[in-house]
Amino acid sequence: MPKSPRPRARFSFSPTVRALFLAAATCGAALPALAAIEHEEVDKLMQAGKLDEALTKADAFLKDKPRDPQMRFLKGVIQLDTGKRNEAIAAFTQLTLDAPELPEPYNNLAVIYASQNQFDKARSALESAIRTNPSYATAQENLGDVYARLASQAYSKALQLDQNNTAVQPKLAVIRTLFTPTPPGAKPTALVASAAPVPAAKAPAPAPAPAAPPPPVKVAAAPAPVAAAPKAPEAKAPEAAPAPAPAPAPAANTASNAEVESAVRAWASAWASQDMDRYLAAYGPDFTPTGGQSRKSWEEDRRARIVGKSSISVNIENLAIKVDGQNATAKFRQIYRADNLNVSSRKTLDLQRSGNQWHIRKESVGG
Amino acid sequence: MAHSQGKRRRLVADIVRHGRLQNPPFRLRSGQLLAALMTASALMLAAPGAALASNSTHKAGSAKAAGGSTKAKAASSSRTTARGATSRSSSAKGKKGVAAAEARTASATTTRPARRSASASSIQEASNAEARLIAVYEMFGRGQARPALAKARDLVRDYPNFQLAQLVYGDLLAAQVPPSNALPDTASIAKMRGNPAMAELHEESKRRLQALRERPPANTVPSQFLTLSTRSRYAIAVDASRSRLYLFENSDKGLKLTADYYISVGKSGTDKVTEGDARTPLGVYYITSSLDPKSLKDFYGAGALPINYPNPYDVRRGKTGGGIWLHGTPPQQFARAPLASDGCVVMANPDLKQLLRKVQIGATPVVTARSLQWISQPQAEKETQSITSAINGWKDARANGNEAQLKKFYLPDFQRSSKKSTEGISAVDEEVKYAQGKRVQFKDVSYLHWRDGDDTMIVTFGEVFEGEKSGRSRRQYWLRQGTDWKLFHEEILG
Repeated sequence: MPKSPRPRARFSFSPTVRALFLAAATCGAALPALAAIEHEEVDKLMQAGKLDEALTKADAFLKDKPRDPQMRFLKGVIQLDTGKRNEAIAAFTQLTLDAPELPEPYNNLAVIYASQNQFDKARSALESAIRTNPSYATAQENLGDVYARLASQAYSKALQLDQNNTAVQPKLAVIRTLFTPTPPGAKPTALVASAAPVPAAKAPAPAPAPAAPPPPVKVAAAPAPVAAAPKAPEAKAPEAAPAPAPAPAPAANTASNAEVESAVRAWASAWASQDMDRYLAAYGPDFTPTGGQSRKSWEEDRRARIVGKSSISVNIENLAIKVDGQNATAKFRQIYRADNLNVSSRKTLDLQRSGNQWHIRKESVGG
Repeated sequence: MAHSQGKRRRLVADIVRHGRLQNPPFRLRSGQLLAALMTASALMLAAPGAALASNSTHKAGSAKAAGGSTKAKAASSSRTTARGATSRSSSAKGKKGVAAAEARTASATTTRPARRSASASSIQEASNAEARLIAVYEMFGRGQARPALAKARDLVRDYPNFQLAQLVYGDLLAAQVPPSNALPDTASIAKMRGNPAMAELHEESKRRLQALRERPPANTVPSQFLTLSTRSRYAIAVDASRSRLYLFENSDKGLKLTADYYISVGKSGTDKVTEGDARTPLGVYYITSSLDPKSLKDFYGAGALPINYPNPYDVRRGKTGGGIWLHGTPPQQFARAPLASDGCVVMANPDLKQLLRKVQIGATPVVTARSLQWISQPQAEKETQSITSAINGWKDARANGNEAQLKKFYLPDFQRSSKKSTEGISAVDEEVKYAQGKRVQFKDVSYLHWRDGDDTMIVTFGEVFEGEKSGRSRRQYWLRQGTDWKLFHEEILG
C-alpha cells in the first residue's frame, strides 16, 4: 500500500475543521474561535517548516491555556520534528493521561518508540490508540508495520540470525494535528472553566475513556458527500451549509428514511441519556463489534464508558441515509461531548430492518 | 487415522477462518493467505489435539444435556481414557478451564471411546515453557488469535531463546499484518520462512505435539523396565521418535511417570555404532556420574550426566565411541532441534535441572529406544519368568558346588568386570569357592530387558550369605540363546 498519500490525505481533512472553526466564529463564540485560529496558525507554520516560529507561538498560547490539548499536541509534533524526542515523549505521554480517549497522542508516541527500536512499546501504544478508536486507520496501518517488524524480529530470533541485517527502520506515519476542535462553540466557558482547576480536571481523565470513537481519519477513502460545514450544535448557527451535501438517498424510500432516521436519533438519545438498555437494544443480534471484541465484552466496555459520565451529549449533523431494501446506511457527523471531552467525528451506521425496527449491524468511524 | 487427521485439520482451518473474521480491520484476504497458511503449518500441522479441544466444545453442550458431564465426573477411568486427546487442555490451562476441559473430556469419551493412545498421565507442569507454548497453540486453535498472541509474547519474554516459541510468536504477529502493508519486513519474513532451519523448528513443533497427544497408556511402563528395585528411586526412558524423555519415580507401588521432557538426539539419529557417527546409542544404560557444570563449557548448559555407553553388550558387538551424556543447552538456545547433537541427549536447562536433583549415580537406569513400547504390570511379570528361573538355576548350581551345572550358564567369552577370564572356567571356579556351599539370599533385584537383534537382560542384585549382614552387589548381562539364558558379562558393584 503506498504510504506517501496518507499524510496528505490526513491534511485534506483540515478544511472541515476550518469550517468548524469558522462556523463557531460566526456564531460569536469568540474565545474558542480565536483559539482555533491560533491552532491553525501554528499548524500552518509547521507545514511551512517554520518550526521555531511555530514553537514560539505554541508556547505563548500555552502560557495562557496550559491544558489545551490541541496546542499541547501540536507542540509535541514540533518537538518530534525538531528531534527533541524525549520532550515529545513527555508531551504525548501526558496527553494520553489527560485525554486517554484521544488516539493521536498514542499513535505519535508509538512512532517515537519505533524510531528508537522499542517496537514492543510502540505496539502497546498503538493498541491503546486502536482500543480508543477501533477504526483508526493511521494507527491500524502503523500497527501493521510494527507487527511486521516484530514478526521479523521473532523470526530472526527463531532462526538465531543476526537481526541487524534487517534493520531498515519502518516508516510509521506521524499524525500532525488533532481533529478534535477544541471547544467549537458549544460550551466554551464551561470547558475553559473545567480546564482551569487542574487537579479537578485531571481526576476524570484516567477513568475509562468515553468511547465516543473520536476523530475521523480515513479521508481518502471517504465517499465525497458530507464535507459540509457542520454547525456548532448548541450554538444555533444558521443552517446554511456552504456546500450542501448532495441529496444522498433517492426519494423513493422516504418512509424508510424516516424510520432509519428515528432509529439513529433514538440511538443517540439513549446514549446521551445513558440509558444502557435502550442504547444496547439499538444494536441488532448480529452486530459485531470492531477490533475482534466479543459482544459481551463490547457491551461491558460501552457500559463502563457511558454510565457515570456527569453528562453526555450526542448530536447528529449532516445525516445522510441510504436505504436498500432491508438494509440501510446512515452517515453523519457525530458531535460527542462528555465531561471534559469534546469530539466531532464522522460516523457510519449500517442498519438492518427486522419487522418495523431498524437495528445497528455495524458501527464505524470515518467514511 | 490419516483420514480423521485430515478432517480435524480442516476443522482447525474453519475455526481459524472464523476467528479471523472477528477482526475486521485485519480480515483475511488472499494477499495474506501466505501468512495464514504459514501460521497454520507451524501451529496446526500437527495440532489436531487443539482442534479436537475446540471441536468438542460444541459437542460439550449436548453431552452435558444428555448427562454427559456427570458421567465425566463419576467415571474417572473413562476420563483417563480420553485424556490422551485432551491432556494438554486439562493441565496447561488454569483453574477456570477445568470445567470446560472436563466437559470436553466427556464429549471426547463419547465421540472417541476407542482412541488407542489412551493415556494415564497428562503433561506435567514440569516443563513450564512447553505447557505455555501448547496453551498458545490451543488458544489459536480455538480462534482466539489475540489472546494467543499475548500469551506468546509473555512466553518469549520469559524464554527469549526458545526458538520455537519465537517462531510461533512471529507467525501470530505476521498473521496480524494487514495485506496492504507491503514492507521491507514482509519481504524479509518471506525470506526467513524459506530458511531450512524453519523445517527443523516445525519438526520440533510436530514432535512436541505428538508426544503430548499420544500419552503413555494407563498403568504401563516401558517394556525394558521389567522389574526395578526400589534402590533405583528414579528411572529414565528416552523415546527418540517422539523426542521425549520420560522420568519415572519408583516406589514399592511400582514405577510412576512423573514428568516428561522434550529432548534432542544425534544429528544422524539413533543406533550408534561407531565413534563419530553422530548417533545416539540405543540400549539400557546407567547414569555413571554427574559433571559439575562449572567444569563444563557453556555448550553443555546446566550440567551433564554421562551414561555407560558402550555397555558390555555394546562392547561385545564391537560398538565404539563414548562420552554419551544427558546434558543441557548452551545459553543462546533454550532447546535444540530434534536431531542436533553428536549423540548425546540434550534437554532444556530448566528440565535438566529437575533431572539433576533426582538421578542417583550408578542406580538410575536410562533406556534409550527408537520408540518405546509400553507394557502392563502382568505382562512385565510374565516376561521376567524365564530369566528368574535362569538366575535361580545359576544360584542353585553355585550353592551346590556343581561346576558342570554352573558352567552351562556361561558363554565361552564371559568377562567379569574388565578382567578377561580364560574360557569362563576361572569364573566358575571362583564362584564355587566364593559360595562355599552357603545359602544365599538375593535382594533388590532389577531386571532390565533389551531386545534388538538379540534378547538381553541386565540383572542387578545384592547377595547376602547366610550368617552375614551384607554382601556384594552384582550386575549381570545375560543373553538368550534359544530358550536358555547365558551370562556374558558381570560387574561387581561393591
